[in-house]
Amino acid sequence: MRSKKSVVLAALAIGAALAMAGCGGGGASTKSESANTSGTAGVLLYNPPFRVASVTAADFAANLTAQAQVSASAHSLLQLLTASALLPVCGVDFHYIQYYTVGATGEPTNASGALMVPTGLPGVCTGKRPIVLYAHGTASTRSYNIADPTNPNNEAANENALIAAVFAAQGYIVVAPNYAGYDVSPLPYHPFLIADQQSKDMINALTAARSALGKIQAAGTVDSGKLFITGYSQGGHVAMATHRAMQTAGMTVTASAPMSGPYALAATFDAIFFGNVNIGSTEFSPLLVSSFQHAYQNLYRTTSDLVESAYATGFDSLEPGVGFPTLVQEGKLPLTALFNSTPPTGTCNDTFFLGFTPPTPATEPGITAGQAQVFAVGFGTSNLLKNSARAAAVCDALVNPDGAFPMQTTLLPPVNPQNALRMDTKMNDLRGWAPTTAPILMCGGGEDPTVFFTNTKIMQGLWQAFPTGVITVLDVDLTTANASDSPLPFVPLQTAFSGTLLALETAVGPQNAIAQYHTLVAPFCTVAAAGYFRNF
Amino acid sequence: MKTTTTIASLCTALALFTGSADASAQDSNDVRVGLYAVFYHTAADDIQGPFTPKGVTADVGNLQTVYLAYVRRLSPHFELELTAGVPPTSDTIGKGPAKLGSVPWNGQTVGTVKWLSPSVLLEYMFGEESAALRPFVGAGINFTHFYDRKVNANGQAALGGPTSISLNNSIGPAGTLGLYYRVLQHWHVVASFSAAQVESKLTTNTDGVIRRSNRVNFDPQTIVASVGYSF
Repeated sequence: MRSKKSVVLAALAIGAALAMAGCGGGGASTKSESANTSGTAGVLLYNPPFRVASVTAADFAANLTAQAQVSASAHSLLQLLTASALLPVCGVDFHYIQYYTVGATGEPTNASGALMVPTGLPGVCTGKRPIVLYAHGTASTRSYNIADPTNPNNEAANENALIAAVFAAQGYIVVAPNYAGYDVSPLPYHPFLIADQQSKDMINALTAARSALGKIQAAGTVDSGKLFITGYSQGGHVAMATHRAMQTAGMTVTASAPMSGPYALAATFDAIFFGNVNIGSTEFSPLLVSSFQHAYQNLYRTTSDLVESAYATGFDSLEPGVGFPTLVQEGKLPLTALFNSTPPTGTCNDTFFLGFTPPTPATEPGITAGQAQVFAVGFGTSNLLKNSARAAAVCDALVNPDGAFPMQTTLLPPVNPQNALRMDTKMNDLRGWAPTTAPILMCGGGEDPTVFFTNTKIMQGLWQAFPTGVITVLDVDLTTANASDSPLPFVPLQTAFSGTLLALETAVGPQNAIAQYHTLVAPFCTVAAAGYFRNF
Repeated sequence: MKTTTTIASLCTALALFTGSADASAQDSNDVRVGLYAVFYHTAADDIQGPFTPKGVTADVGNLQTVYLAYVRRLSPHFELELTAGVPPTSDTIGKGPAKLGSVPWNGQTVGTVKWLSPSVLLEYMFGEESAALRPFVGAGINFTHFYDRKVNANGQAALGGPTSISLNNSIGPAGTLGLYYRVLQHWHVVASFSAAQVESKLTTNTDGVIRRSNRVNFDPQTIVASVGYSF
């Protein structure tokens, strides 16, 4: 930087200045933080991390009110927060963390996420505060960034607002990774539902975020040592996998609240391939196939081994990417048709497929007419997966059945699956572990057509011998909940959810309402998790 | 390239006028000092980049500084003015949302920048050489170099952390019109109004990680009152 004196001289030497003008361009100042390049998993690239925004409790509340005027879901959230006495009491500083982690085969990479730090009232918001480690739900856009409250068009916007309101603004430090493969992460795929990798990603984000506490502007908010883990949908699976991994590693977990997750992944997969096609199946398929292929390299030689030729080209790199709605618009994925509506033939049991393409209450006695209607939407002529792929998995399941589907026997995953897809789902199935050091709340909605509530019921069944209080199950839907899924403190929440669902059914019709059911459950379960964590 | 050509042709023009100046009996040189009142008419795009809400931009505060000029008489009707102010410090003022998060933005001074902004103007003087009062018009080129760019605590709080700024140099047309009034044989006063096109690309870098940028047209208009001495 030039001295003042020389600048004045330069001002008078106009000819020289003009000559210089021909060169153009002014250099940037060089005051910048340099990245930690160690590559060590759990280390921040930048510490202190960038503060995205700082919001006071009053402004947060005012913003929620303003949003409620223009958006139906925001209106519903505000009602829920008000009824649950969860209006913001703390301000929130949103930080953007970037940390080193690993991919599905242990390859070094880095990822990003959010660190939300409560500010304001001492003792309630600052000082020693508990941490909530949050695992987000499935995202199809690579730009997903849960650290960004400034962009309402980001796929993470709703989840960001929800966890900021329910946890951070209530005095919890929140750590929420975007996961490897999203945002600035250079990993070319996302290790979707890989229990080992996803739990490492979560733990690395937690370690990294903890290293920033005390160094950020809200330096007075520090870790109390209490750790809560939660997450929704895919994140429910990730949250439970993370609890398991931390328990194995001897790390402190105070309690966890996995929500609406496919914990019994192998049973869920079998149910879908039998014909109980879930809403969202064509969105999840590219993520799952790409993830398993990168992790285990056992699914295919070319994508057309599994995928119909119309969708095979580039199938394994579609997601995360431009996002599911765009992919459907571009004709790269079908909206709902996972399987062909013509049953496969020449299989191990053609008669079976005739009755399950799609299944009906007559052929699959456990299902209702409403469920059969939902499953039928998963069949069509412009379908995604080949009949041969479906038949191979189902025929293996008929010989090597899961212990929870179609018959509930051991409730455990198949003992010796031979089909590669079934072997991979078994590898990431969470049955077989039990929380021995910290209690769990499992929350979901009984009619969930996207991630079946049977996942929760299977885990509940496996853990039924645990003493009261260690395992809590909540079905927020009064129409399906029984006494064992309706813990007393959450009855008002069930009533509120059922009222909201009924209003939605009235407004958009039952078919459209069921399509939104999985999303509708999320804020209610998240509020339940917050209520549950307050006990510790 | 275009800029180089413009400068070269201007230099050629200067040489021609300088050559014809010998015929004049008047003083050939003139230095002026005065007051420069600068009014910015900033038009800036929204700042683009990660974690940046829509509608965030910045403005520049108006200011006064000392005006300095050297004027060379080329012919009875043409003069060449080389002008500059003592480099002023401009306040950068947040414009857009009232707050970014809960940090005030609109109307807040978020930083400062210094300008080195010389112009060269070819001016046509109306009226007889002997007249005391002579209006004039002029046109030329402005060059602006920005330096000592600083983001203050307000700006750092709003932008997310320690932030550096760069602003590209600008070259653009400048024009002036004014009144010259000779008071004594060697002394005169001048009042003028000038405008210049100053366009730059602003780039911010917060924590070395978050880069944002926008294009800014400062387009300053200036009013000058000065006293000159001819020799």
